[in-house]
Amino acid sequence: MTSWKEQLGDRIPDQLAGEVDLFEGQIELKMQGKLDDKIFAETRLRRGVYGQRYDNGLRDDGTGQKTLTFPCGDLTKGPDTVWDAPGMMRIKVPFGKLTVEQLEVLSELAEENSDSILHVTTRQDIQLHYIHIEEAPDMMRRLAAFGITTREACGNSVRNVTACEYAGVCTTQAFDVTPYADAITKYLLGHPDVQDFGRKFKIAFSGCEDNPCGLVTFHDLGAVAQVRNGKRGFRVVVGGGLGAVPVQAKVLAEFCPEEELFPLTQAVARVFARLGEKQSRARARIKFLVQKVGIDEFKKLVADERETLRPDERWTAFLDDLHSTDEKPVREAGAIPSDAPAGFQAWAKHNLKPQAQDGYYSAIVKLPLGDFTATQGRALAQIARELTGDSIRCTVEQNLTIRWLSGADAVTFYDRLVALNMAAPGAGTITDMTSCPGTDTCKLGISASRGLTGELRKRLTVIEDELHPAVQALRMKASGCFNSCGQHHAADIGFTGVSRQVGGRKVPHFNIVLGGQWTENAKSYGLVVAAVPSKNIPKAVELITGHYLTNREGEESFQAFMARVGKKEFRKVLAPIQKAPAYEDDPSYYSDWGNPREYTIGDIGVGECAGEIVPFVEFGLQEAEQQLHDAQDALEAGLSATAAAGAFNAMVTAAKALVRHLEVQVTDDADDVVANFKTHLHDTELFHDPFAKGKFATYLLKMHGDHSYEDADDEIAHRTLDEAQLFLEAAHACYQRLTEAAAAAAAAE
Amino acid sequence: MQATKFQVKLYTRVGDIELEKLIPVFHEWIRTKKISDELLIDVADYAHVPQGPGVVLIGHQSDYYLDVADNRPGLLYSRKRGFEGDFQAGIDDAFRRALNACQLLEGESSLGLQFATNEVLFRVQDRLVAPNADATYDAYKPALEQAASAFFGGAPSLERIGTEREPFAVRITTGASGTVADALARH
Repeated sequence: MTSWKEQLGDRIPDQLAGEVDLFEGQIELKMQGKLDDKIFAETRLRRGVYGQRYDNGLRDDGTGQKTLTFPCGDLTKGPDTVWDAPGMMRIKVPFGKLTVEQLEVLSELAEENSDSILHVTTRQDIQLHYIHIEEAPDMMRRLAAFGITTREACGNSVRNVTACEYAGVCTTQAFDVTPYADAITKYLLGHPDVQDFGRKFKIAFSGCEDNPCGLVTFHDLGAVAQVRNGKRGFRVVVGGGLGAVPVQAKVLAEFCPEEELFPLTQAVARVFARLGEKQSRARARIKFLVQKVGIDEFKKLVADERETLRPDERWTAFLDDLHSTDEKPVREAGAIPSDAPAGFQAWAKHNLKPQAQDGYYSAIVKLPLGDFTATQGRALAQIARELTGDSIRCTVEQNLTIRWLSGADAVTFYDRLVALNMAAPGAGTITDMTSCPGTDTCKLGISASRGLTGELRKRLTVIEDELHPAVQALRMKASGCFNSCGQHHAADIGFTGVSRQVGGRKVPHFNIVLGGQWTENAKSYGLVVAAVPSKNIPKAVELITGHYLTNREGEESFQAFMARVGKKEFRKVLAPIQKAPAYEDDPSYYSDWGNPREYTIGDIGVGECAGEIVPFVEFGLQEAEQQLHDAQDALEAGLSATAAAGAFNAMVTAAKALVRHLEVQVTDDADDVVANFKTHLHDTELFHDPFAKGKFATYLLKMHGDHSYEDADDEIAHRTLDEAQLFLEAAHACYQRLTEAAAAAAAAE
Repeated sequence: MQATKFQVKLYTRVGDIELEKLIPVFHEWIRTKKISDELLIDVADYAHVPQGPGVVLIGHQSDYYLDVADNRPGLLYSRKRGFEGDFQAGIDDAFRRALNACQLLEGESSLGLQFATNEVLFRVQDRLVAPNADATYDAYKPALEQAASAFFGGAPSLERIGTEREPFAVRITTGASGTVADALARH
């Protein structure tokens, strides 16, 4: 075999295969200079191909900023993003679920295309770093062969739909949210109503109110399972988010019946797409829209939008079989042996949770900083194959949970983890910290959140057994900047990277955020208490926990203690360590954890997390251009009928993009597109050329009516291609006129 | 179609390594362009991952790992891009670059590292072109023998290792007792 495309053949679903082929074609076009930088950047972001630190071709080596002389020369893969610079691939893992085979193929890709490390994110994705963009299409094919897509993993789109890792096996859930998360993932993937956002949109599911696994309160849209009078539904919240100013989501519906969940979500998406901010990224998340109009008005807008939606059978089709996502254990249930060894007992204390199903357990594999090796991944997959089946879940705390472990196999499972160096105890305790990538790989990172977390973890693991249970139970989380990917607002003790100037030099610091609540779906956020030099953070943790233990009343929780004593008292506690010594006295303060270079924020780039603001219509027109290009290739290959049909499809695609630009609902069906095009663009004369008038529109209308593109001979194919080319030119011109008219109207207001 | 993603690992003579010490060394290599014909980009620290890739010097053409997989520390050279010349030249080049990196590390006094030359691990990270199978082994064996013999002398002994799920890998026992410098001088 000469290519993965050939090797995998029909193992790849047609739609995914087509999407990867299209992306590969776009890479080719970009290399030929035929694709705009912004469009290509948003295109690759929507396929999970992300930028990494230094991808602008510049890197500070500690003595000043230097140019990385990549061989690609001036070729870029986005604004200020060098083609050859390594990037990151974010791989969506809906609700964190991985099969054995999926984990195996991910491990293979980590070895062949990355640095042998798989990284679990705080939103249940897997990330691979140091990827070369030209290898991305084959990586996507290998993933697609096992049902994984990276589509819409980044960019201004619906990101990975998350859900608690115990869904279906949880002892406190109202019901299993897995089939709902699964169905809405499939429904929204590529849906036209979620393509025109100004920013990303994150959805989370939780099976219950009390536990933190779903973290719905800081999501753009969250759904908490409820049963009322025997009827399933969800409490739906909207407009939550972290970032520099964290916002708790507001209740959109106290009880949304299960059959209404999808149309409600779709209506929210349409309102967000229509009214959400598009120009200022900083205010483009839905939380700002909800704040701006108020939750009551937002509810009204959503209700009105809901009324306009055309019914879609997919809203409820999945309800016919809510067991389609059930997992099947491969071993009989059993009890944990009474003579289990001490090491197992210590591990099981925090890492083994009884399931709702008697005799089965969920085992948490605690990962250091969310990382595991390809070798470990492969071995873990084999363990799952033998003992638990396809029951692996990535968690929001950057661990792996393996469900459906029979109690009878628990010690064997533990022994095999020990052999893999994956049996670290203390899951969900103070040693189980989460962190975003920070300055290690993120373009926006200010401080080394991973370096800090690694250092704290190393120090605390040594004294883990000696820690007071009240301290053991605390959670710590770190973000390298205010964007809060490490979810520090919801931690007992959180850290967010900041920079401070001391004696003319920059010193890495972390803001300490105290008193966030992880439980009850992250019910409340912490408060910033003080900025402390990065190198003093371990001491700060010691002071904070010591102060808490000494002064708490009875069994007072950390949140309650924080609320009682307030920020002021903790400021006093931290005051002695807030000031960095002069460089001459201790230069170690002037570099960050795990990075000996003198600290600088000069490497911060423009984050790609926000995506490029490219209106959906431009994607549509670009897609139409690609279709026409393919049609021309087909004609050259002597495939007249294919060429003519392709040219017609290109016109339909362009027409659909314009119709949708007018905020008219339209399906992918050509009849529907053409009917709407005629009504809204032809009959209104919006599509009319100033000189040719309706001539170009009639190419589409006539062709749609007489089907002349079908069974076309060479002559008809040529004519069809020529007409399609003119139609596309007219479509671009029409879009330009519409844009100018909108701008003029806005200016007049 | 020819594989290019060759990996060559040489093991250290000592068991324990303080991986953190590699971080400033690799940063300095980037700053001083220590490997002059390669673009060096970044340092990835995975010291927290047991038996993992350790500390990685990320480059454009190749990565260099102070890898601690299987609890056997060593320098792992990993080619990511194509090479000039024929198949044998590509394998020879991978051996040479791995040995060259070992020699540079041995020269870093802060590390106190020495590498053994009696054993080499060779892998190909390309399951499409080089699956872990007998046919791949048959195709690679002559070139690996030639490269090992040219650098380490004598008649090396080769053994294919791992399963079909793992990358194609060959353990080469060279029988050599010389230094890294000896090996580089020989070729």
